[in-house]
Amino acid sequence: MEQSNTLLDVKKLEVSYGHVDALKGVDVTVNQGEIVVLIGANGAGKTTLLDTILGINTPRSGSIQYNGTDITGRSADINVREGLTIVPEGRGVFTSMTVTDNLLLGAHHNMHESSDKIERVYQWFPILKERSDQMAGTLSGGERQMLAIGRALMSAPRIILVDEPSIGLAPIIVNNIIEILVNLNKEGYTILLSEQNAYKALKIAHRGYVLETGQVVLSGTAEELLEDPAVKDAYLGA
Amino acid sequence: MPLPMYYFLAVTAIYILLSWSIYLPYRVMHLHFMSVANMTISGYLGAYAALSWGWPFMLVLVVGIVVGAFVGWITSFAIGDAPTFAVVIVGFTYIYISKTVVENTDALGGTLGLFNIPSIHSDPSTSKLLLLIIVYLFVILMGFLIHRFENSRLGRAASAIFVDHQLAKSFGINVKRTGMFLQTWSSAMGGASGVLYAYLMRNLFPDFFTFHLIGIAMTMLFVGGYATMWGGLLAAPLLWGGPLLFPPEIASWRIVIYGTILVVMLVLKPEGLITRPLVYRIESYFRRRRDRRIPS
Amino acid sequence: MEVFIAQVINGLSLGSVYVLLVTGFNLLLLVALIIHFSYPQVVVLSMYISWTVMNLTGNNIILGILAGILSSIILNMAMAPIFQRVMRNRGQVDINSTLVISMAIGMIVTDILSHGFNRGFPISFSETLAGNQSSLTIGLINISQGQVYTLVVGIIGVSAFFWLLYKTRSGRAFRAIAEDPSGAKQVGIPLLRTGLASYALTGLLGGVTAVLLAVLLGSASPGLGEQVAHKVLAVSIIAGLGNLAGGLVVGLGLGIMEALIQGYVAGSWSNAIAFIILLVVMLIKPRGVFGMKL
Repeated sequence: MEQSNTLLDVKKLEVSYGHVDALKGVDVTVNQGEIVVLIGANGAGKTTLLDTILGINTPRSGSIQYNGTDITGRSADINVREGLTIVPEGRGVFTSMTVTDNLLLGAHHNMHESSDKIERVYQWFPILKERSDQMAGTLSGGERQMLAIGRALMSAPRIILVDEPSIGLAPIIVNNIIEILVNLNKEGYTILLSEQNAYKALKIAHRGYVLETGQVVLSGTAEELLEDPAVKDAYLGA
Repeated sequence: MPLPMYYFLAVTAIYILLSWSIYLPYRVMHLHFMSVANMTISGYLGAYAALSWGWPFMLVLVVGIVVGAFVGWITSFAIGDAPTFAVVIVGFTYIYISKTVVENTDALGGTLGLFNIPSIHSDPSTSKLLLLIIVYLFVILMGFLIHRFENSRLGRAASAIFVDHQLAKSFGINVKRTGMFLQTWSSAMGGASGVLYAYLMRNLFPDFFTFHLIGIAMTMLFVGGYATMWGGLLAAPLLWGGPLLFPPEIASWRIVIYGTILVVMLVLKPEGLITRPLVYRIESYFRRRRDRRIPS
Repeated sequence: MEVFIAQVINGLSLGSVYVLLVTGFNLLLLVALIIHFSYPQVVVLSMYISWTVMNLTGNNIILGILAGILSSIILNMAMAPIFQRVMRNRGQVDINSTLVISMAIGMIVTDILSHGFNRGFPISFSETLAGNQSSLTIGLINISQGQVYTLVVGIIGVSAFFWLLYKTRSGRAFRAIAEDPSGAKQVGIPLLRTGLASYALTGLLGGVTAVLLAVLLGSASPGLGEQVAHKVLAVSIIAGLGNLAGGLVVGLGLGIMEALIQGYVAGSWSNAIAFIILLVVMLIKPRGVFGMKL
């Protein structure tokens, strides 16, 4: 039934930094095999939500259920071990380390069969194989994004949180990244994607949530959101 | 006045000055320990001038302050806006160099120390009383100046630098000049404490001016509270006087006691005993009472 | 010329001790994110513990070496909770408070050394450990066993450290935290646990250094910690905070420079000259010659 299908269930999540409330009671559900997109302007709370799910921030109240267990306030390293992973905003690769080192960091908690995992990542991203001994700092923006995604795959995740993958990338490369996400989803990875580029994201997503100043103001299937006049007006620039 | 009382009051005043001289540069995040080196330099210079050239006390004091300020000022050109850690090590290096030079210079008594620094009055007890009065007047003067500084434009600039170096720069605050000013002031106070200490004790030993002196002053500052000038003022008599009441077996472990208090304090209450909000509350309480007394 | 060569060799062995110490200091700075100011003082405390154990066991060298290394690891690990407690308050409290805590620990250590061991008198290690007898004489050049041991162990120690840093899983995690702690957390590296590993590794490095210092110097005094600490910290600044390769170069450079000064300038002035040179370099380059990594 629907219950067994739910992979991630965020309920009434509240997070604050000092006196600033970043999230004011957010409910988000992600089912197994879905691409779910979070739409919202800068500062709407998308990054805070993803970081809190991963375990970087401790919520003030609310709960996070992953795969049927409560993971609220559990630390990030345990969550990564259990199959959650993030592709951070702004790529977040380690520029002074080689591409191989960056990939191996993704498998830090489980080096078992890491060479097989690396080979699989190289099949996805052949360009990374060519660059394997280069410092990540020498890569282009698109290559860094691929490296960040590849590193996420190294942790053998069930759900990948992707934070603003298109920021600062040329449109053609954005299309490329989006296509990669679709393919990953077809392979069975569940994806929770935060994106300012609402149109492209909704085109590939199953469902979506619209965040404004720390609250979910609208949610629905991707088609519904694409047709919604308010969404069109604010995010699709139509 | 009984001798223990005299030493308690004398050394307490020196520690108040010393903890303030660390407090001032810490207003811009600089843990600057050069004032201890300035104590050595000005103290020995002053003592030598008094002994060999017969300089009077007031001249020695003024020259000691000027020399301290000058050394601090010259150095601050290099480290006025240096990273905290570099400032720490530069201060230490000065201390090691000045100590080594003193230890190897026979004219300054070498490792044996310098004795019989003249008293400022022919009658010994009058001299002591007079010295204490001068020392505490100097403490009050410094306290007044620091208080004025806190409430000035420069004091607010320092607070901004403490919170965020880069942000302060973007406000148009001259970070380097503020740092240089505070380092120079700190060194001048160090120079003064050196001369005052030399006259109060009437002898100098190079072993006094070392790491443990910094340790004690730093404990006073951080236990008392580094955010206001009142922390050092309050903690100096307590921390210096407290162990004097202990039995000698325990008192000889004074430095271990200070170190432990400092660690415990930083772990449990890192901002120290006296915090800025506390001072605000006390100040506004007194202001209200004064306002009430004035009929409208 | 003979004096020159002898002093360079002398300086290299002294320098390798500095390199080991500055490497440990930088590792804590980069991975545990603390400024462990008095790390060299803790190393000297381990020397004293090693000396005590040798005294109690009738100069059993193996037990003495083990005691030095183990005590260093244990002392370092024992301090970790104090630092990590302060780290948790981060945000309001910055890295400076770890520096002050470490200085307080240094105060305690130095006072214990000057009260608790040998009534405060300098200690000297047994001849068999100290290795003072010269093993090699070429013309006027004398190289003592101790110098050879120090140099060899120093090279092995530093190479092993760099191998660990660049070729192992823990080393990779160390480098990741050094570059970007919050990024490392997002990747799923446990910061506290990896930090703890760096305390243990620094303890190991410190323990080895304690034994080498005993072999090289043959004696120790309560003030040794402060003096070594001060030089090591100056090296770390001149090399650039957190710059491991820079620490290697400057550490060896200081060792050679000191030995050369000692070879040509008599008495205790040589120390002052070394400090004055350090001071001048620091005043010219307060951010380091090779650039800060932080």
